[in-house]
Amino acid sequence: MVPVELFLALGAILFCIGLYGVLTRRHLVIVLVCIELMLNSVNINLIAFSSIGPFANITGQVFTLFVITLAAAEAAVGLAILIALYRNRESIDAIKQDLLRW
Amino acid sequence: MLSAFDANWSLMTPEIVLLCLALLIFTIDFMTGIKGSKPFLGRLSIISLLITAILVVLTNNVSGNIAQVFIVDKFAMIFKLIILVGVAFVITISMHYLEKNSDVYQGEFYSLLLFATLGAMIMVSSADLITLFVGLELLSISSYCLAGFKKRNKKSTEAAIKYVILGGVASAFILYGMSFLYGLTGTTGILEIGRDLGALYDQYPFIIMMSLLFMLVGFGFKISIVPFHMWAPDVYEGSPTPVTAFLSVVSKLAAFGLVLRMFIIAFGSIFDEWSFLLAIFAALTMIIGNFIALTQKNVKRLMAYSGIAQAGYLVVPLATTLTPDITMSIIAFYGIAYVMMTLGAFAVITLVTESAGKEDISSFNGLYYRSPFMAIAMTVFLVSLAGLPITAGFFGKVYIFIGAVTGGMIWLAVIMIATSIVSFFYYFGIIKQMYMNEPNENDEVLNPPLSLSVMVTVAVTVTLFLGFFPGLVTKYFNSFHWFF
Repeated sequence: MVPVELFLALGAILFCIGLYGVLTRRHLVIVLVCIELMLNSVNINLIAFSSIGPFANITGQVFTLFVITLAAAEAAVGLAILIALYRNRESIDAIKQDLLRW
Repeated sequence: MLSAFDANWSLMTPEIVLLCLALLIFTIDFMTGIKGSKPFLGRLSIISLLITAILVVLTNNVSGNIAQVFIVDKFAMIFKLIILVGVAFVITISMHYLEKNSDVYQGEFYSLLLFATLGAMIMVSSADLITLFVGLELLSISSYCLAGFKKRNKKSTEAAIKYVILGGVASAFILYGMSFLYGLTGTTGILEIGRDLGALYDQYPFIIMMSLLFMLVGFGFKISIVPFHMWAPDVYEGSPTPVTAFLSVVSKLAAFGLVLRMFIIAFGSIFDEWSFLLAIFAALTMIIGNFIALTQKNVKRLMAYSGIAQAGYLVVPLATTLTPDITMSIIAFYGIAYVMMTLGAFAVITLVTESAGKEDISSFNGLYYRSPFMAIAMTVFLVSLAGLPITAGFFGKVYIFIGAVTGGMIWLAVIMIATSIVSFFYYFGIIKQMYMNEPNENDEVLNPPLSLSVMVTVAVTVTLFLGFFPGLVTKYFNSFHWFF
């Protein structure tokens, strides 16, 4: 049986990769993908706790379904705004979005 | 455990009615065509909010819960009423704004605002991490759309994309914290977590602290406290002005409700571990918010930093060792004052910036000569925001100050007073411009629409009333238990 710590480590690594991507990548689509990565690391945590955690029960899996749904809704809105941004600016480079500062 | 059929669903009446009315407005919107202004939808939205507010008063004045997931208590009732009144004000402002910006696609604006309100109401009423997260995302996703509502405007879309990305990261942080909380306790119910956490903390102090910190980062983003505030000025500047008002008041107070319930109920047993941390954040928020506001030239950006500073004042009572009931009375009083003075100020700001066509502070030049009533109202709001006597903001700050001193956080109270004095400079800068300077060329006499004048009158009246008779409200607030 795989201990729960390994799943948590996997979740933590995914979360860090996602956060690193959000902070460093310039292409906004990749940034949105990295946010999904962070949310999926949460799903791994929840599923791990839900099946082999100290208090394993079904609630974690229900929570995961909600997280997946809301992540999809957020991605849909994010991509819609991305298209509006591209139409206005002809660029989705994160560095070039600099009208609003300080 | 109650089954879903035994639960007392009537407690959820206001939310269900608001959802139906929001869907109705959504339907009417796409039945009446894409183009053209739709002021009737605005009026209908205000009526929906009033109906919901009446239902909140009627059904939520008892304590109860639906299967420990959705909870109704005085805390939920008061916060819902504050939120509903705030949104009604925001809709009044947006009716004027949309009339001036008839090139903006007008459909869905009101229904999105109502869905966001629904999310806010669920947030303050939730007693379960899942419900709480769903409410939070309903509010956030609607707000992302609203921030980018002027879709042909470069600043608006830029604000929206920044908000989506940073909001998504904040949600991920909150969820990551929640996942550990669930893993350690095996439940997502806030009440159960609060019961078990004290004993669990001795066993796993590191993991619980980590989970708390992750959630604090996410919640700190939502209520825009320093050092998680950098999104706020950008998003507030780029968004349409009524949306800025919505974000800075309703969204912030709803997130505050969430923070209060999480920290007082769920993390209440390990108060000693996080109170000092929150005190430091509050101090940083007050100092940085007020000092950066001094340098701002754009009035919406100025209000953003002012809102950050106000969030700092609101965090102060949470970090003190007062009982939850007293903490809540202090915060709710300041919350009411904050809604009135900030939304009143935003009504005048919308009027002035839409007439001038720019958002520079200089558009306030000589406002007194263009519209004496609006200038005097704005003076009352700014004096209240600065926290000077016979306004609601003064007593709100006095209560926070007394609370901080009796709660053993004297250094925090001193920082609060010192930074309030700093804030006089930028608030009085606007007041000086309104009275001392000549109006700019091309600026005509302002003719505010009736609805906006009524709204500003209500806001001024409440601000002054709470300034003259604060005892009436605090007496009521101290007469019951806030939490279930």
